[in-house]
Amino acid sequence: MGERDEIKVYNYAEFVGGENFLDFRTVLPVGSKAPDFDATLLETGGPVRLSDYWRERDVLIEFGSLT
Amino acid sequence: MAAAYQAKGFESVFVYTREAHPGENYPAHRSMDQKLAHAQAFKAHFGVKRPILVDDLVGTGHTLYGTLPNMTYLIARGGRLLFRADWTDPPTIQAVLDYVLGSRARRREGLRMAPFYAELVGYRWNDFSRFQEGLQRAGQQAVDDFARASQRWTKEGPRPGRITLDD
Repeated sequence: MGERDEIKVYNYAEFVGGENFLDFRTVLPVGSKAPDFDATLLETGGPVRLSDYWRERDVLIEFGSLT
Repeated sequence: MAAAYQAKGFESVFVYTREAHPGENYPAHRSMDQKLAHAQAFKAHFGVKRPILVDDLVGTGHTLYGTLPNMTYLIARGGRLLFRADWTDPPTIQAVLDYVLGSRARRREGLRMAPFYAELVGYRWNDFSRFQEGLQRAGQQAVDDFARASQRWTKEGPRPGRITLDD
């Protein structure tokens, strides 16, 4: 799958309600090591890693969007 | 709430994902600039003070954590997952943070504490009118798409893993 296709699959253009809440239960059980990833910090537009936030303190992470 | 618990040692961040309910006003992302603009609109609309981390355009971070639209995770300093929920609910989070603080206080008092694995069925306020307002903000397409999905769930049953009140 090319990158453009990958972008269109992840960012679906219409909500159809096909989420699988069952998979969530096993994907990352509590007690395991949190996976790290790169992101863009909105305030600066610069790169940031999620682990930057758990290096010194506990961190609460909410995932979501405007819609 | 984020500010109150920041004083108690908890950092709080928001990870901006794909649009859960794309519509005419906020369509599906096709560029990083567009995703950043939507995140900026989100920050302005809700007056978000927490750092907003915008995930990449293919949802690398979102996918690693389960790809659901409004999940919460609590990660301890050093990177161990302490709590996770498939929806975000402030009273539930507050109870968890207070529990973590209480456990640590007991440990500091000298009690011998052993970690264990636990799960929970949460209850959140399903504010339907506020949710509909959100869909309308996205655009009529988002309203119509959700109505169609709701009809299908009624006919075919809820999505896999959704817990209903009569379970």
